[in-house]
Amino acid sequence: MAAPVCMEYRIEGNNFMVAGTASNNIKNTLKMLGIQSDVCRRAAVIAYEAEINLVIHANGGILKAVISEDKLEISTEDEGPGIPDIDQAMTEGYTTASNQAREMGFGAGMGLPNIKRNSDLFEIESTPGVGTKLISTVFFNK
Amino acid sequence: MEHSIKISKEACQGCVNCIRVCPTEAIRVVDGEISIIEELCIDCGECLRSCCRSALGIYEDDWNRIKESSRTTLVPDPVFFSQFSHYGRPDNLEDVLMSLDFNTLIDEADDAFDLSAYAVAQLISRSSRTVLPLISVYCPAVLRLIQTKFPELLSRVVPVLSPLEIAATLWRMRTNSDAPLTLLAPCPAKITMVREPHGKRVSPLTNAVTVRKVARSIMAEGDINVENESVPRKRNNRWIQWARRGGESRHVQAFSDKKLNILAVSGMRNTLDTLQELELGRLRGVDFIECRVCDTGCVGGVGTADSRFLANLRLGTIETEWNITPKELSRAEELFTMDIWPVTNEYQPRPRLPLYDNVADAMVKLQQMKEIYNGLPHIDCGSCGRPSCQAMAEEIVRGHGSVTDCIFKLREGISALASQIVKLSESQPHTLKRKGGKS
Repeated sequence: MAAPVCMEYRIEGNNFMVAGTASNNIKNTLKMLGIQSDVCRRAAVIAYEAEINLVIHANGGILKAVISEDKLEISTEDEGPGIPDIDQAMTEGYTTASNQAREMGFGAGMGLPNIKRNSDLFEIESTPGVGTKLISTVFFNK
Repeated sequence: MEHSIKISKEACQGCVNCIRVCPTEAIRVVDGEISIIEELCIDCGECLRSCCRSALGIYEDDWNRIKESSRTTLVPDPVFFSQFSHYGRPDNLEDVLMSLDFNTLIDEADDAFDLSAYAVAQLISRSSRTVLPLISVYCPAVLRLIQTKFPELLSRVVPVLSPLEIAATLWRMRTNSDAPLTLLAPCPAKITMVREPHGKRVSPLTNAVTVRKVARSIMAEGDINVENESVPRKRNNRWIQWARRGGESRHVQAFSDKKLNILAVSGMRNTLDTLQELELGRLRGVDFIECRVCDTGCVGGVGTADSRFLANLRLGTIETEWNITPKELSRAEELFTMDIWPVTNEYQPRPRLPLYDNVADAMVKLQQMKEIYNGLPHIDCGSCGRPSCQAMAEEIVRGHGSVTDCIFKLREGISALASQIVKLSESQPHTLKRKGGKS
């Protein structure tokens, strides 16, 4: 069993211009490992949406990707405002994004639903006032 | 794999301009000589723009030979009609070509571009929301960019052959001739399309030369006064507008029943950004994407004769009829029922080779690669002949090159060696040692 490949990114809050770098990096790494194209695409979408969530909602945080031989785990951790009602946040179209974010084309209320749709396993844990933890897993050979 | 970029090794000074601008990182300098990794090259021509010593050029067919042959038949790219300041109307230029005894496929191009736009409009209206937006295939470099860097988007590329090839097919059908057909192309990407067709096995086109070569050769003939110029042909000129960004989009819109959301971008950077945003699912609600790797559209190709700004300006003054007449519509519908436009060979991805053929070993290589990368200076200077420190680390673990290819690592190595020499020189064998330090 080869040692897992870990990648960690510190995502800055409200910095829309660099959003996408982590996602792109993760996708390219998966390609170098020879992971199927569809999995790479799903991973890129998950990482991107998670990254965007940190940028617009959480005032930044940490995004981690751990690649093992059979799966990829993307997790985020932040000390943002937290999500009071997770079920509501998982509804397509529901958003609390700022006007600034929406003017830039973000905050369509598709982020979390999109992450869930592309994940094989999906976990989210949030405490208002403390922060949010998210773990998404994608298996390579299903 | 066929390409249309040629390298003059004598002219190359080994500067690293081209290495850095290549969007697919396909260029290397090995043993002082530039080389292109064929599997990665998309023939976009960005490297040509960055070369200040003319060490890179377009590998085209021999125009001097082609024009001497009897009854040369030309398939002009729309760009060709934007290159002359003194033939303002496309039909003037048509007359000029005729007076020089060239047979030019204009009627066929009219039909083919209408058919192509109609087919795209049909495909859009028949697609469900989830598979939209579709992507234009007119720029061959965009297709190859998608094949190499965004293979997940291939299913969105419209399965419609290039209208330039459809025009050639229509002509062959009408004349039942297998005489050579020469494409006047504005860029290496379209030249390669003839040599290495996509979407079909054999191209109906035979040769390809640059618009620049042919435009200059016609300019050299001097001002040609065409007699009987008095009967201007009534042409819609829609197809000529494909030479600039947005021309195809407008044409597709003209054949659509409803208002489409179309994104038309030009330039390498804009194209890359658009495709990346699309891949990340950011472009919802868009129906069609027209990308051209050259700025301003095809008029910005590296094989054109005149300024892209002037060419674009001239296209704006060409009278263009965007309303489709019922006759034109039924012509397009009739051609649509024939099998001359759909691709017959599916577009295949051109993915990079993984580091190793199984994930476990590839992961070991990846860790090694990270370690090598961490030791490099991260300034992407290009002195090692590779586009970036990342690319160098990757090549080392793939077995091509060593860390000392890096000028900074080499210096570190020499300095370490030097201090070791000093240290060694201080230690002498016992037989040579004398008390009091004398030898």
